Parts: sequence; structure tokens; C-alpha cells
Amino acid sequence: MTKKLLALVMALCLVLGASSALAEKLTVTAWDANFNGNALKAAYEDYKANVDPDFELEINIVSGSSDVEQAITTAGASYDYSNLSDIVLFQDHYIQSFVLDYPDAWMDLEDAGINWDDFGAEKLSYSTVDGVHYGVPVDNGTAIMAYRVNLLEQCGYTIADMTGITWDKFLEVGKEVYAKTGKALLSMDGGGNDLPYMLLQAEGKSQFKDGKPYITENEDLVKIVKLICDMINEHVLILANDWTGYTNETIMQDQVAGVLNGNWIIPTMSQVTDNTGKWEITTLPTLNGGEGYAANGGSSLYITANCKNPELAKKFLAYTFGGSTQTYDNALRTGGVIGCCISAAKSNVYQEGVPFFNGQAVYSKIVEMGASVPIVEQNDYHYTCRTAIGNAIQNILTGMDVMEALTKAENELKFAMGM
Amino acid sequence: MQKQKRLGLLAKQKAAGWGFLMPAALLIFIMSFYPMVQAFITSFKTGSAAKLQWAEPITYNYSRMFQDSVFKTAMGNTFLYLIIQVPIMLVLAILLAQLLNNKDLKLRGLFRTLIFLPCATSLVSYALIFKTLFANEGLINSFLKGLGIIKENVNWLGQADTAKAVIIIALLWRWTGYNMVFFLAGLQNIEYSVYEAANIDGANGWKTFWHVTVPLLRPVIVMTGIMSINGTLQLFDESVNLTNGGPSNSTITMSHYIYNNAFVGKANFGYTSALAFIVFILVAVLAYINLRVGDTRD
Amino acid sequence: MTNRAAERKPAVSHIQRKLIPSYIFLTIVSFLSVFPLYWMFTAATNTSLEVAQGKIWFGTNLIENYKTLLATDNLWQAMGNSFFYAIVQTIAALLVCSLAGYGFELYHDKGKDKLFAILLLAMMVPQVATLIPLFTMVSRLKLLNTVWAFIIPGISTPFLIMMFRQNSRNFPIDTMEASRIDGLSELGIFFRMYFPMMKSTYAAAAVITFMGAWNSYMWPRTVMKGNSVKTMPMLIANMSNGYAVDYGTLMLGVLFASLPTILIFFILQKQFAEGITGSVK
Repeated sequence: MTKKLLALVMALCLVLGASSALAEKLTVTAWDANFNGNALKAAYEDYKANVDPDFELEINIVSGSSDVEQAITTAGASYDYSNLSDIVLFQDHYIQSFVLDYPDAWMDLEDAGINWDDFGAEKLSYSTVDGVHYGVPVDNGTAIMAYRVNLLEQCGYTIADMTGITWDKFLEVGKEVYAKTGKALLSMDGGGNDLPYMLLQAEGKSQFKDGKPYITENEDLVKIVKLICDMINEHVLILANDWTGYTNETIMQDQVAGVLNGNWIIPTMSQVTDNTGKWEITTLPTLNGGEGYAANGGSSLYITANCKNPELAKKFLAYTFGGSTQTYDNALRTGGVIGCCISAAKSNVYQEGVPFFNGQAVYSKIVEMGASVPIVEQNDYHYTCRTAIGNAIQNILTGMDVMEALTKAENELKFAMGM
Repeated sequence: MQKQKRLGLLAKQKAAGWGFLMPAALLIFIMSFYPMVQAFITSFKTGSAAKLQWAEPITYNYSRMFQDSVFKTAMGNTFLYLIIQVPIMLVLAILLAQLLNNKDLKLRGLFRTLIFLPCATSLVSYALIFKTLFANEGLINSFLKGLGIIKENVNWLGQADTAKAVIIIALLWRWTGYNMVFFLAGLQNIEYSVYEAANIDGANGWKTFWHVTVPLLRPVIVMTGIMSINGTLQLFDESVNLTNGGPSNSTITMSHYIYNNAFVGKANFGYTSALAFIVFILVAVLAYINLRVGDTRD
Repeated sequence: MTNRAAERKPAVSHIQRKLIPSYIFLTIVSFLSVFPLYWMFTAATNTSLEVAQGKIWFGTNLIENYKTLLATDNLWQAMGNSFFYAIVQTIAALLVCSLAGYGFELYHDKGKDKLFAILLLAMMVPQVATLIPLFTMVSRLKLLNTVWAFIIPGISTPFLIMMFRQNSRNFPIDTMEASRIDGLSELGIFFRMYFPMMKSTYAAAAVITFMGAWNSYMWPRTVMKGNSVKTMPMLIANMSNGYAVDYGTLMLGVLFASLPTILIFFILQKQFAEGITGSVK
């Protein structure tokens, strides 16, 4: 009898112990273990070491942003959010529509005590819905235009010559580079079609205007699509079939002398260690000359309605990604994650020269560039639009007239939007 | 009295029969038919998943389909895969089974295992392997260049026609061995004497194949045919993993397009359900035709 | 005697000579079937860059890849989960479907035949369409993240029922009658007589079900959320979708994910072939 009682008491203690530990525990869902996973680990270690030694963070890694979107959709469809983790990483382009469509799935961060002025306005424009802050920015999608300086040199150009130029000039240089080195000056993921979007953003424009597709009447977009097709035909741009083709073939097989994408592309570029010291980065060319700024593919952290301990979640996010130098430094060191917190970018780690980029202090430069990215109109059908424009490019390359192809794309998009 | 007891026994047996199949039948009703009915209801609604409302007009999603150029492309693609891939695969599978059914052939078990292996491979590796093989600088291009068949690298997955061809090749690679096993099993049911008789009649290999093997294999052909039609009409993995439907939707399949509508970006469950329901009807009709054509027993 | 042997020998080699085209054809097909698997093996021993550059010979990076794999994700937990779920699903499916196949064939009457035809329709239900209603159901039952959520849609499949029903035709009715006279209950006949006699059918069904459960992805990723319930296909998908994918490590993961199904086929292939034979009669 006493034995049984003892066992009961012990079990009770265990249960109580477990529940008290639970109170200090958060779960978070994110994709890409080496990138976002490491950033979250850095934040966890920071918070545990400096704020709360009992803090625990369970990081669930899923295969991609679409997994998180699917989780919200299925939860929303069954009106049961209890299966969501406390915090989720969510990609920037879709969060607006997900907050509007599933308002019950989220908690706002208005009282989290985060200094929002410390982040770039463009980045915050995604995670703010009707003036209410929902997300804490993690990675910075700021686009970089990287060049192989040693190859440019062979053609008589420096990185300074390539800064602030027009796309026409870029095309000209590209032809020269291809003639002399056999390498293209740019490549593009034909599955994701992010290049037209970035180029257009650098012009301060969007593919949408007042919630409607803005394609055929958008002169800049028409010019950009023509430019991309010209570049492909002149061997200045390699159009890869998909993401793996883009990273594995064009970048890792060393087929290009230039890379334009969100800065998270840096770890991929760095895998080709033979090219260490031969790259440098700068801003984008623009249609009429002048430095261009764009962003592609960032994400932010959001607290879900299922969070059992919102106070802790808010405290954790505010302390770490809200501006802790230690979090940001380690996220950069272990994951290559460049944040968008302006004050955190003043740390030594951010100021260091990077050997792969010929000693250039690329990290602080990227954060600095991030502050200049223009805000452009977003839409729920962002990716549908990208695909439609990608399809138009394919059609033009196989002989269709530019305007005909773009009209087709616009109709396709309007159909998807139910217009 | 005796009679009554017997009847009781029969009733008991009958009840046992129903009892045996009830768990399975109930599960299918709950896990397949009930959700399908729900999907049918949803197909008359519009809006986001959390705020579904009756469509206005009620058949909105169905009439929308007729204007959907991507769905038409997807349907065309799927039927193209069906018409080209399924017959080639089944003929090839029967042929391989026939070769392996020869008792004089050595290493039969080894050949059988090797040819079956592709369907045991995980999907990710299979997709990656095919992408790498058919890449611009990939093995296929260098091989063909070495033989002098092509001069410039072919962008296999970047052009509509060749990308479709790669999908068909990949499907053949993965599923021919699987179907072969079924045919091989079917052949083992055919008495060897039938062949001997055919040989005595002086029929050559081809004639034997066509006039003896194929008719005897009819039930297997019907079964594999239904499995293949169903698999092809619901084709999803290859389209997603090999080409992601591209370039320019030229390889997208119906199931892939349905999935995109449900889970890529803004969810449109009403439209998704309507599309899925149409696919369901298509598969059922084709399977029925297949059964009717194949079933000539009486 | 010697005479006969002399006569037979050229006949054998004649047969083998006639089979040369078959050997060549089968060798080519076998090579094509196995080459991608060979490539998977070599890729697992190479660095990401080497894989990207299309190296097709073995490298020296296997241990590095294994270390990276362990550091990235909990490989053995995912293996364990996959095994557990796939085995539970296989057992449950075999039990439920063989009972049904047995019931449909050996107790058959008009009503059951009609029901069977209706059940076959379920084969044609597209998975995408049922995903949301099923999720809702499973989440209301509070089964998310449990083995039940994983297996429940796969327990009863028309294909397996059909397979067992076809095979049951080989089960002699006389045995049933005799067993009844011996006083065995209906369920007793199933377990004592039918089950041992149908071993090869069970083996074939087990291979097919296990392979399906092991490789299933769309449904598990909808209902199994969290690290502790992750399966191998999910682990691999997670690895293959990052910004910078490590191909050597990925292919090692793929190798781990492919081995069980390959092994199971190797072990059960004889019974597998027999089991299928019965179902296509």
C-alpha cells in the first residue's frame, strides 16, 4: 500500500514537474534546417543563456513554406487550430491573404514591445495588416547583384563600372563576357520566375495595380520581359528549368559570371570554393540607369492562435529577433541568415570582410541596401502572376509575339483571380 | 426441428459473411465515400476555406471549368500520357514477362528482381535522378553527342515536347517492372501444354504471343489496365517533381492542377472539389469501359 | 546412353543460342532499371558539388555525408517512425482486407457482389479531393499526430480486398464444410484454416501495403506535425527543399529511405510472385 502511494506521489511529481517545464516551452515550425533552423537555434540559445535558463524551444522543420500554408489552410477549413505550433515561420508574399482569410489563426504583436523603426519599411509592409503588426522579420530577402570580378576584369570592367548602369549596358557587357569567357552574366529559375518581379521592383513598380493585374499596360514590365528574352537569345542569361537547375547547374557548375537573387543565395554560391575571392556584390542595374533595389523570398515569424503562452512567445521574439546582437550574429555565422534589424547589423560580425567576396563587407552592405528597397503593391496572386509571366517568356522564346504572350498571361491571371 | 436448426446455422453463416466484410466496407464508406460526398457539396461553394459560401449561381465552379485554359491543357496532357504511356508499358511488360517465363532462361530470378526494383525506389531519388540524367550537361546529352545523334545539348525538361517525353520515359521506367510481375504471375497460371500445342500447330513466336498469350492474359490485362488508367489519370508525383508542370504548364496533369488550386497560394476549395469530382467521374467511366471491353467471358 | 547425351548437348546449346536476343534485351532493360539506383549509391558517397557536376563513380565523402545527415535531422527516429507506422498499417490492412475478401468470396451472394462493385468505386476517388474532409474528421477525433491518423485511410483499400477475394477462389469449400463439422466457428475457420493456406497472398499483400505506407507522403504530411512523428519521406522532402541543398547528404538519406522496400522485396519475392499469381487467375 505504501509502495503504491509512493508511486502515486512520484507520478504526481513527475506530472507537475513536466507541466511546470511546459510553461517555459514553445514550439515553432519552419522550413530549411540549415538556414531558418539555425537562426531559430541561435535565438533559442541566446534566450536560454541570457534571459531564462528554463526556456525550451522545439523546432519543427517542414519541407517548405507550402507546408505551413497547408497547415493553416487545413486548420482553417476544419475550424480547429489546436494542431498549430505556437510560432510559425511564414513567407512574406502570402501572409496578407492568410491573415485576412483566417483571422482566427493569428495573434497580433502590438503589445510585444518591439521597436519597429529598427526594421526596413519594405520588409514590415508584408507583415503589417491594416496597420497592425503580426510578424517579426527573420531573414532579409534583399536582392544582391553579384559579379565575378576576375572575369569582368578580363573584359576591362570593374564592379564600379557595373554599378548604377542601365540594363542595355548590362546586355552589352554580357555579350562581351560571353564572347570572351563563354559564361553567361546571369541565370534565372524558369520554375520560380523571380527575375521579372525583382527587376520590376527595382523600378518601383508592381505587377498589380489597385488589386488588378498590371501587365500589358505596364510599360516597364513589357520592357523587362523583352529584355529578358533578348538576354536569353544573346546567351547573356541562362534560363534554367527549375530551382535545382538554377542552383545546381548554372551556379554550382560555374556557368555564370553574375548572380542576381535574394541574398540567401550566398550559401549556394559559396559551395564553389574554387571561386573564393572572385566575387563581389553591388546593386541592380535599372532600365534608365541608377542603382536598383529589390527583395525576393523573405519570411517572418508569427504567433498562432493556438499559442498557450503568448506572453512568453512575445517576450522571446521581442528579445531575440527584435534586436539581440547575439541572435543575429549567430544566425549569420551558423546559418548564413542575414537579418533585417538595422541596429543589429552594426555588430562586428556584420562589419567583417568576407573572404568569398574578396574581403567586401557584404552583410552590412546588404542590410543597408535593404533599407532602400521600394514598397510595391502586393497581391494574393503573387505567384500565380509570376508563373503567368514565366509562361509568357516561354511562349515568346518559342516564337509568340510579345504583346500576344503577355495578353495571354494577363487573361490567365485574371481567370485565376476570378475576374 | 432439424430443418429449423439448419436454417439457423445458415443464417448464422450468412451473418458471419457480412460480419467479415463489414469493417472493410464501413471504413471505405467513411474514408472514401463520405469525404467524396462532402467534396461534392463543397464543389457548389466559393470563398476561402474558413468562409465557404454557396456559389452564385450554384453551378459557378462547373461552368468556370469550361473557360479554364490551364485545366484544358492539363486534361490534354493527362490523356496524352494515358494514350501513349499505358499501351507501351503494358506491351513491354507482357513482352518481358513472356521472355522471363521461358524455363530454359538462366538467371531468371535475378532479371526479375532487377527489373522490378525501380518501383521500390523512393520518389525523391527517382525524380532527382531523372532530372540529373536529362540535365543540359547531363549524361543523356553527352551520350547522344558522343554517338553523333545530336550536335547541341538538348534542353530536355525545358521544352514542351521533350519534357512530356521525359515524363513518359520516367513513368515507363518506374512502372513497367511492377506490371511485369503481374503478367509473369498470370503466365504461370497458363499450362505449358497450351504452348506446346501451339508449337505443334507451327505457330511462330509472335503468333503464339498474339493468339495464345494475350487472350489467356486478358484478366490480368484488365486488372493492370484499370490500375494504370487510374494511376495515370491521378498522375501527380512525376508532374510535380520532374517538371513542376512546366515549361509554361505544358506538362501539368489534372491532379497536379487540382492540388495547386487547393494548396498552392490562395486556396480555392470549391473549385478544387469541382475539378476533383470531374476526375472521379472520368476515371470511373474509363474503368467501366475497360471492364466491359475486357470482360468477354460470356 | 552416350549417344543420347551427344544428341542432347547440341540441343541445349541450340536453345541457349536461340535465347541470346532475350539475354541481350533483358540485360539492357536490367541495366536501365538499376542504373539510377547505382547512381543513388555513388551519389551518397560524394560531395554536393560532385553530385551536381554529374560524377558517377564512388567518392570518399560517405562518412561526412552521414555526419551531416545526423546533424540536420533525427534520421533514426524518422526510420523508426516509418517502420512503426508502415508495419501497423500493414497488419491492420491485411487483417481487415483479408477478412473482407474472404467474406466476399466464400459467403458470396447477390447483395455482397453488388456491395463489392460499389466498393471498387473507391479506387477512383482522387486523394486530393478527400484530403480536407479526412483531415477534419481526424482532427475532430483528436487523432492528429498519432499512428491512427497515419493508418486510418489506408486500412481498407479496394485493391487489397480484390486481391484477397481473387485468391480466396483457391480456398476449397470442402475444407470449410469439414471444419464446420469439426466444430470450428466461422472465425475459427478463417484463422485456423484460411490464414495458413493463404500465406503467399498475405506476403504479396504485405509487400504492396508496406511499400505504399512507407512511401506515402501527401497524407502523412497533412496529419503528422512535429519532429517526433516525422517519417522518412518527410525527412527527405525537408532536405531537398532548402535554399542550398546538400546533394550528397540528400542522396544518403534517400538511400536509407529506399533500402527497406528493396530489402522487403528481396526477402519476400518468392511469396510475392506466388501471391500475385493467385490474384490474377
